[in-house]
Amino acid sequence: MSGYLSGVLAVLCINLIFAYGIFVPMAAGQINLGGAGFQAIGAYTTAWLSSVAGLQLWLTVPAAMLAAALIGCLISFLVLRTRGVYMVLATFAFGEVVAGFLLRSDFFGGAIGMVVPVHVALPLLVCCAAAVLLLTFYLMATRLGLAMRSINDDEAAAIVMGINVRAVQVTAFTVGGAFAGLSGALYAHSFNFVEAQYFNSFLSIYVLLFVLIGGAQTAWGPLVGTVFFTLLPEVLRISGSWRFVGFGVAIVLMMMLRPQGVITRAMVQRLSPRRWAPQCAGAGTWHGG
Amino acid sequence: MAASPALALHGVNKHFGGLSVIENVSFEVPAGARMALIGPNGAGKTTLFNLISGVFRVDAGSILLDGAAVENMPTRLRVRAGVSRSFQNIRLMPHLSVVENVMLGQHTLTKGLGPLLSPLAWQRNSRWRRLAEESLRSAGIDIDPDADVATLSYGVRKKIEVVRALMSRPRLLMLDEPAAGLNPRETAELAIFLKSMAWEGLTLLVVEHDMSFVHDLCERTIVLNFGRLIYQGPTGGVQNDEQVRAAYLGSRRVATKGAHTAA
Amino acid sequence: MTAGSVPAKFRTALQTPAVAAAIVVALLFAATALGGMTREVVSGVMLGSIYMMVAVAFTLTIGVLNFLNFTIPSLFMLTGMVAWGLTANGYVKFAGSWAWLAALAAGVAAAVAASLLVERFTFRYLRMKHGDAIEHAIPLVSSLGFLLIFEHLVLIALGSESERFAIPFKADVHVASVVVGVPQIISCALAVGVVAALSFVLKNTKTGRALRTIAESPDTAALLGVEVDKIVPLVFILTGLLAGIAGALFTVNYGNVSPFMGDNVGTKAIAAMVVGGIGSVWGAIAGGLVVGLAETLSIYLFGGDSVQMVVWGLLLALIVVRPQGLFATVAIGKGKM
Repeated sequence: MSGYLSGVLAVLCINLIFAYGIFVPMAAGQINLGGAGFQAIGAYTTAWLSSVAGLQLWLTVPAAMLAAALIGCLISFLVLRTRGVYMVLATFAFGEVVAGFLLRSDFFGGAIGMVVPVHVALPLLVCCAAAVLLLTFYLMATRLGLAMRSINDDEAAAIVMGINVRAVQVTAFTVGGAFAGLSGALYAHSFNFVEAQYFNSFLSIYVLLFVLIGGAQTAWGPLVGTVFFTLLPEVLRISGSWRFVGFGVAIVLMMMLRPQGVITRAMVQRLSPRRWAPQCAGAGTWHGG
Repeated sequence: MAASPALALHGVNKHFGGLSVIENVSFEVPAGARMALIGPNGAGKTTLFNLISGVFRVDAGSILLDGAAVENMPTRLRVRAGVSRSFQNIRLMPHLSVVENVMLGQHTLTKGLGPLLSPLAWQRNSRWRRLAEESLRSAGIDIDPDADVATLSYGVRKKIEVVRALMSRPRLLMLDEPAAGLNPRETAELAIFLKSMAWEGLTLLVVEHDMSFVHDLCERTIVLNFGRLIYQGPTGGVQNDEQVRAAYLGSRRVATKGAHTAA
Repeated sequence: MTAGSVPAKFRTALQTPAVAAAIVVALLFAATALGGMTREVVSGVMLGSIYMMVAVAFTLTIGVLNFLNFTIPSLFMLTGMVAWGLTANGYVKFAGSWAWLAALAAGVAAAVAASLLVERFTFRYLRMKHGDAIEHAIPLVSSLGFLLIFEHLVLIALGSESERFAIPFKADVHVASVVVGVPQIISCALAVGVVAALSFVLKNTKTGRALRTIAESPDTAALLGVEVDKIVPLVFILTGLLAGIAGALFTVNYGNVSPFMGDNVGTKAIAAMVVGGIGSVWGAIAGGLVVGLAETLSIYLFGGDSVQMVVWGLLLALIVVRPQGLFATVAIGKGKM
C-alpha cells in the first residue's frame, strides 16, 4: 500500500471515530459544536503521557479516552442545563476555552506544540474505527438507544414515558466524549505531533457537518458522511481552500434539499430485508390503515 | 373496607403568572371506575392531566395515586407510580417506527442495566417485541410494525398512542380526547376496546367532548369550568345540572359529537 | 423547565436601564478615576461600539427568526477585504481622494449582497413547531456552510495575509490629555446613531411592528397581516448593513484587514449578545460596550494573551448560570427553543 493511500485511510479512520463521538450525543438531541475541544483533550493527554511520562501506547490511549470521557461527563452537567441555541453556544464556548487554555499553557507546549514519540500503524487505526462503529450500532439497537432517539424527537413526551432524560443525555455526552478523545489520541500517535492551533472551531464545525450531511437519524449516516467528505476531495484531486468551498456548497444544498441527511431511517428501513403480511382483522376490532 | 381510590385530588391549585387556571379542585376516582372529565374549551382539563402526570407542579394541594402522595414526585417517576396518558395532539415519536413507539411505553417496566443494554432492535423475537406486536394486533392495528408513524392516518396514530400508554401496565390510564377525529364506527369500537381492557383495577379518566361516547364508556363524570369543579357524579346527571348548563352557554343539551360549543 | 431553557425573547425596550447604565458608568468612572486609563476607556468605547453593532445583528436574527446566524462574522470580514481588494486592484481610482470611502461603501454593499444570498438559500428559519432537536438547527447549519464558502473564497481570491488599508487623512483631536482620532469619534457616533435609529424603527414604525410580530408569533404573523415574505429579507439586509458598517468602521480605525478579522469580533459580539440577553436589542448595545471596555481594560491590566479564553470561559459560565443575560429580567416562556 502506498504511503499516500495509507495516509488517507489513517485520516479516514480518525475522522470516523471523531464523527461518531459527535453522533452519539446528537442522537439524543444534543448538538455539540465543541468537538475539537474533546479531541484536543484526548490528543494532549496522550501526547503528554507519551512524551513526558514515557508511557506506552496501550496505556496512553485508554488514559486519553478516560480523560475525555470524564471531562465530557462533568461538562455535560453544565451544558445539559441549556437547550437550543444556548447549548450550541455553550459547547462552542467549551471548545474555545480548551483551545485557548492549551495555546497558553507551557505545560502542554503552548503555541509550539508537542512531539509524540510513539507511532501507531494503520491496522490498529482500522481496528479502533471498526470497534467504534460496531459499538455505536450496538448502542443504537438497545433500549438506551431507543430512549436517546425518543429524547431527540420529543423530550417532554419522553419524560412522561418515564425516561430519565438527564441520565441518558449525560451518558450520551460521556460516550461521545470518549470517542472524540480516542480520535484525538490516535491522531496524536499517527501524526506524532500536536499543536493547539489545529483544534479550532472550524474543526468542530467540520466534524459536525460530516454527521449532519451523512444523516444523524441512523448510525449509518456518520459513516457515509465521513467517507464522502474525506475521500471525495482526494478522488477529485481538489485541495486547499477549494475543498472547503465545495464543502460549504454541499452543506447549503443539503440543508435546502435533504436536511435530514443522505441516510435516513426510512431509507434504511426500505433497504433492510423483511417481509410482513397483513393478518385478517377479526370481528369487533379496529380496522387498520 | 373500601380500597383507596385510584386517584384523589385535594385542593389542587395552579396558576400561570397572574392567571389562575386550576382553582381548588378536589375529586376522587374510585379504583376500577371509568370517569369522564368534561368541560368547555379552556376549562383546564389538559392542565389537570399535566398536573397529574407531572408535566406541571401544583402550586397548592395534593395528588394521591392509590393513596400515595405524588404531587412532588419527579415527572419521570409518575409512570412508575402507575399513571399513564395519551395526548390531545398526538405525540408519537415521528422518527420511531410503530413498534418502537409502543415499546417505548414498556420502558418503565424494564429494571436495571440488563434490559437497558440488550440489543432490542436485533432481537426481533424478544418477548418485549412480541408483546408490543400482540398488543397492536389485539387493538386491531393491522399494519407493518416497522412502518414510519408519519405515514399513517390520524385515527390509526391515535390508537397507537393508546396502545403505547397501556404498555406500562398502568393502574390509572388518562386519555386526552381519544375519540377526536374518529368516525362514529371507530369511536364505538374504541369504547368496546377500552371496556375490554379493564383488567383487574385499571381505572380510566377520559377527557372528551363527544357525550355519546362518554355516556357509553363512563359511568361517572366530573365537569370543569374555568378551572373549577362544578359537577361530580353520575354521567346521567350531567345534562340536568344547572351549573353545567350555565357553563355551556345555556344550551339545553350538552354537546354531542360534531357540535362543539365554545367556552 | 431547566434554567437554561429560557427562550430568547425579542425585546426592543431596555429591560433594566438603570442596571445597564449603572454598570457602564461604573466601569468608565473606575477606569478614569483609577488614573491613566482614559485612552483605554476611549478605545474601549470605540471597540464596544463596533461590537454592539455586530451583537445587534446576531440578536436581531435570533430574536426575530430564531436563527443563530454564523455568517455574520464573515460579512464583517467581507466588507474589509472587499474594500481592500478593490483598492489594491485599482478599481476605485476614479473616486480620487474619496477612493477609500467608495471602497468601503462597496464593501458594505458586498456584505448586504452576501447576506441576501444567505437569505435566499437558507430555509425554515422561522420557528418550527414540531421539528426534532436537529431540525431546529437547519438554518444554523446552513449558515455554517456559507461561513465556509465566504471565508475560503476570500482566502482564494485575496490571500491569507493581513493587509493595510490606509485612509488618506489623519485628524487627531486632543481631549483631556488624550489624543483621539477623528475616525474614532465618528465611529462611535455612527455606531450609536445606527443602533439608536434601528431601535426607533423597531418600536415606532409599521415595519418594526411587523418584525416584532414575527418574533412573537411566527405561525400567525401572516394571518395578522404581516407580509412575511417582504419583511424577513429586511432582517437579512439589516444584518448585512450592521455587520458591514461595523466592518468598515473597524477597518478605518485599525487601518488593517485580514481574512480572519471576523473571527475575533464574532466571539466578542456573541459574548456581548449573551451579556445583554439574547433577543434584546438594547441588551446587545449595553453588552457591546461592556465587552469592549472589559477587553481594553483587561489587556491593559493583565496582558493580551488570555483574552480569548477568559471571554469564552465567562460566556460559558454566564450561559449556564444566567442565560437571560445581566440586564434582562427572567422571561416566562415555553422554552420551545
